[in-house]
Amino acid sequence: MMILRSSALMLSVALAGLVATAQSPFDNLPKQSKAPQSVSYLFPEQITIPAGKPATVDLHFKVAAGLHVNSHTPAEEALIPTTLKFPEDSAVKLAKADYPHGEPFTYPNDPGQKLSVYTGEFTIHTEIVAPKGDHLLQASLRYQACSNELCLPPRTIPIAIDIIAK
Amino acid sequence: MKRNVIVISAVVFVLALLGFAGWANHLNRVHAALQVQAQQDQANLVSDAAGVGHLASPMVGKAAPSFTLTNLQGKKVSLADYKGKAIQLNFWATWCAPCKIETPWLVDLEKQYSPQGFEILGVSFDDLDQDDTKLLAKEKVDIAKAADQLGIHYPVLLDGDSIAKSYGDPDVFPTSFFINREGEITNVTFGLTSKDDLENNIRKALGEAK
Repeated sequence: MMILRSSALMLSVALAGLVATAQSPFDNLPKQSKAPQSVSYLFPEQITIPAGKPATVDLHFKVAAGLHVNSHTPAEEALIPTTLKFPEDSAVKLAKADYPHGEPFTYPNDPGQKLSVYTGEFTIHTEIVAPKGDHLLQASLRYQACSNELCLPPRTIPIAIDIIAK
Repeated sequence: MKRNVIVISAVVFVLALLGFAGWANHLNRVHAALQVQAQQDQANLVSDAAGVGHLASPMVGKAAPSFTLTNLQGKKVSLADYKGKAIQLNFWATWCAPCKIETPWLVDLEKQYSPQGFEILGVSFDDLDQDDTKLLAKEKVDIAKAADQLGIHYPVLLDGDSIAKSYGDPDVFPTSFFINREGEITNVTFGLTSKDDLENNIRKALGEAK
């Protein structure tokens, strides 16, 4: 009986220790920070559209101050275009995407290099087709941002839209 | 007797579990410490005497991390191959317009200072699709084409992403690490600076300027 009691005590101490050691003092550290997103999705977050028909939806974005992103049709092949993407397995389909024209841009240090960029707010006019029902669309926008002096790596932002197709 | 065996087995099991948890905890700590180190190695925003903010790297004064990458010709190139030389590691990408502005300066400076033992290694951060052989080949051709159009004669190394962590995960391009003959990082520049600034850093790496 004595052995049983002391063993039970050891067991509970061991279990308490197990819980304690599983908690690392570094558990609450933030993940390694990367540069913040240079483009943010503004709206809409929820839309109601007719089911089974192309519906016009304008997607609004904002480029952070002091930065520009390449337009959908950059001036050079090597530059990464801003591109909207719907997941292939989504019931919601992107029937059409009309991107705005880029603004002309030249670097002060290189007037010969003429780029086509978006700055500030820009809107992509889309036509979306969704079957009847509620859908949570998880689309994305890929872009690559630069300032006058530097570039940031290509990034992708998620675009979540709650779609009610009636 | 049978009950004692069961209890003792349970205790042994829990102690083994404890040992495993301790080991897992140790791995977590090592991982977290590396994460903290990586964060510390990233650039900090500092102000100069005029109060203008600029990025400064805590890697200055440290030994340049060793690496081996493949060049455009498919040959392995290590930092150790350049022992005794002053090096500028220039992180760039074909999609980086400011990188294209500084490249002609680099070409000129490399030509000017190579007799003194200075070399530039261009490290490309263009994405490489290692799983798609056809696409990978096209990506390599595109980088080679861009390097050729920019008149780059110094070695261009591929897959910079694979050494990014050891160099503080820079996510600003261009970024240049200046390394002296002893293998120590003498300065790091982020973004487009000027030809004069690059030259000063090269001379410092060569031990010709302070």
